[in-house]
Amino acid sequence: MQLSLRIALIVITLIYLLLILRAVKHKKLKISLSIFWVFTGFILIVAIAIPHAIEAISDFLGFTLTTNMLFCITIFISFYLIFQLMVQLTKVAKQNVNLIQEISRLKKRVDDIEEEKNNNKSE
Amino acid sequence: MKILLIIPAYNEEENILGVIHSIDEYNQKEEKKLDYIVINDGSKDNTEKILQENDIPHICLVQNIGIGGAVQTGYQYAKEKGYDIAVQFDGDGQHDIDYVKTICKPIIEKKTDMCIGTRYLDKTTSQFQSTFMRRLGSKIISFFIKITCKRKITDPTSGFRAVNKNLIQEFAQDYPAEYPEPESTVCILKKGYEVLEIPVSMKERRGGKSSIRFWKTADYMFKVCFAIILDSINNKRKVE
Repeated sequence: MQLSLRIALIVITLIYLLLILRAVKHKKLKISLSIFWVFTGFILIVAIAIPHAIEAISDFLGFTLTTNMLFCITIFISFYLIFQLMVQLTKVAKQNVNLIQEISRLKKRVDDIEEEKNNNKSE
Repeated sequence: MKILLIIPAYNEEENILGVIHSIDEYNQKEEKKLDYIVINDGSKDNTEKILQENDIPHICLVQNIGIGGAVQTGYQYAKEKGYDIAVQFDGDGQHDIDYVKTICKPIIEKKTDMCIGTRYLDKTTSQFQSTFMRRLGSKIISFFIKITCKRKITDPTSGFRAVNKNLIQEFAQDYPAEYPEPESTVCILKKGYEVLEIPVSMKERRGGKSSIRFWKTADYMFKVCFAIILDSINNKRKVE
């Protein structure tokens, strides 16, 4: 990798890290979730700074090309993340239904009580 | 024995009044009165207005959550008010009010925990046998229930069913939201409750459109069968 390309990549990664930290600061992302993104940022910086290390690992694992290994890792992590998102989505959807049911039942109760009160008054 | 009819309704402005009138007529001629509650599942048409103007007891869900969630709200209401029997009764006029006492009878006699009104059991009682695709779908779902629960359920998608107090509690807490009718049947069979089927007659929808469309049937079938297998693995026996 040429030095200019490496510098450019590191700069981009640093901007990426800054964006994440900003998102956390403005409460757009939970701290516990930001750890993953910050961690990937650091790994990227290390990989860009010492590309030989990545090549060595790839050779050791038996990948024909280093890029194959990188794509492989990225795809696995993406699948895992999508799965986690679906789990969270299911949880949120369920909580949502519970809330709607609870609110609607409470509304009905309030209406019933109010009606009873009005009836008592008119008597 | 306090009996509650749970009537889920989604965009049923054309049918809901007719259904309520049939219940009122029934209550006038029968000694045993039926209470009912309409669950308006966030309808976008005038259903809510009609319910309010006619002073019909109803719960208006603040957003649309699907038939499963709507029916569950009804069970939660039944639990809250201490009903002994809850009957699911469609808001589209498909079900016949005169059969309510038929499907409640085995529960009152404590013969079963849940009683399903089935349209396929007796060809003569039912004028409405539904389409070929639907019947085939029901057969396939039945087959899956048979191999997972070792029980024959002829009409697993029937929404006309009565349950006793134990199952009201059970459903108020946990009711399958995605494919409510077949899934809930499998869940309670696996938990060890008794299920009975009784032939009833069903009418064709009076107006509006059924929520299950023809081309969706195959997709629905596949997912239901998958859900049945998962439910049969995930539900452990609770009662003897």
